Amino acid sequence: MDVQTVIKLAAGAIIFAVCLVGYLHAVRKNDGHELTKKQKRVKKLWFMGLIIGAWFVVGVFITWFSQKKFHFAIDFEMFSERVELFGGFTVAKTTIIAAVSSAVIIAVLVLFRVFAISKFSAGRPTSVQNASEAIVEFLDKYVAGVVGEKAAKGLSPYMLSVALFMIGCAFSELFGLRAPTSDLTCTLALGFMTFFLLNIYGIKKHGVLGRLKSMGGAVPAMRPIMIPLKAVSDFAVPVSLACRLFGNMIGGMMVMDLLKGVLGGYASGLPAVAGLYFNLFHPMIQIYIFITLSLTFINEAME
Amino acid sequence: MNYIAAAIIMFAVCLVGFGMCFATIKSVESSARQPEAAGKIQTILLLGCALAESTAIYAFVVALILATAK
Repeated sequence: MDVQTVIKLAAGAIIFAVCLVGYLHAVRKNDGHELTKKQKRVKKLWFMGLIIGAWFVVGVFITWFSQKKFHFAIDFEMFSERVELFGGFTVAKTTIIAAVSSAVIIAVLVLFRVFAISKFSAGRPTSVQNASEAIVEFLDKYVAGVVGEKAAKGLSPYMLSVALFMIGCAFSELFGLRAPTSDLTCTLALGFMTFFLLNIYGIKKHGVLGRLKSMGGAVPAMRPIMIPLKAVSDFAVPVSLACRLFGNMIGGMMVMDLLKGVLGGYASGLPAVAGLYFNLFHPMIQIYIFITLSLTFINEAME
Repeated sequence: MNYIAAAIIMFAVCLVGFGMCFATIKSVESSARQPEAAGKIQTILLLGCALAESTAIYAFVVALILATAK
């Protein structure tokens, strides 16, 4: 241990000890009586000081144990690194993470089907049944509100599975892995699925000629010009969906990386608080936006 | 040179911020005037903000490609 570490450790220990004494004093003085508002505030302040002291001591210890200088640099790559499986056949890391997270989701859902759904009854619903029915009903109603009852029958299960897959991806980021949705190939695949669905539902509704006609607009003379333009803008749909999801996810990941780089050895506790926004809330918003935009584009193709 | 180009592209984000700000101002005004339509306005606002945000995201992605290009 060098002198600087000892001084830092001593300072952290002094802060911790002082705040511990203050907190115990604030608690002990009032047992039996109701705490007044000011006393509660003082108690809270001492407690905050306690946490800050503990965080500082832990940070100094981690910096000392790891023995290396935390240097501030981002090693970012556009596409994730590849792992060799067998015989020179390489697979991107994010593909494996996506496969594992979908396997976990499938296992959980199979267990749910076997153990929970078999006990569902129409007469006396339990809390699990109420919760799952509320989710399915909300999604059914939401999808039907955008694309209509008939198309919602097929689309609402698909949208729920997309949402579950993306939630699994977002959770894999909490384990320190790179989320599959922050890889452009994964989001492009999701975008192209929306593109195919858009064309399938459009052709189902109008037929091939009817779809071309609806792409051309109302004026027959303008159709030869309008149809190629509309085709180009349709091809922009998967690209825009993919880039939006990819950019948002990679942005969140980079902000978290920056935070961890700045904090260095002191990165205990604080990244978890920031991760609540960047790893949980932000992906949820993006899932909502992805589903809404997909449904809007499908509805547009069906009109 | 690539880093300078990436920095210039990120100016698009500033204008996107203004655009989303205007959309939010109008949505707040209109939902204060007609509270019963607040749910519908919120959906449209989220959709519009997502579409406006996509410009910033494209700029960000292009800047990333430029900055990481070898």
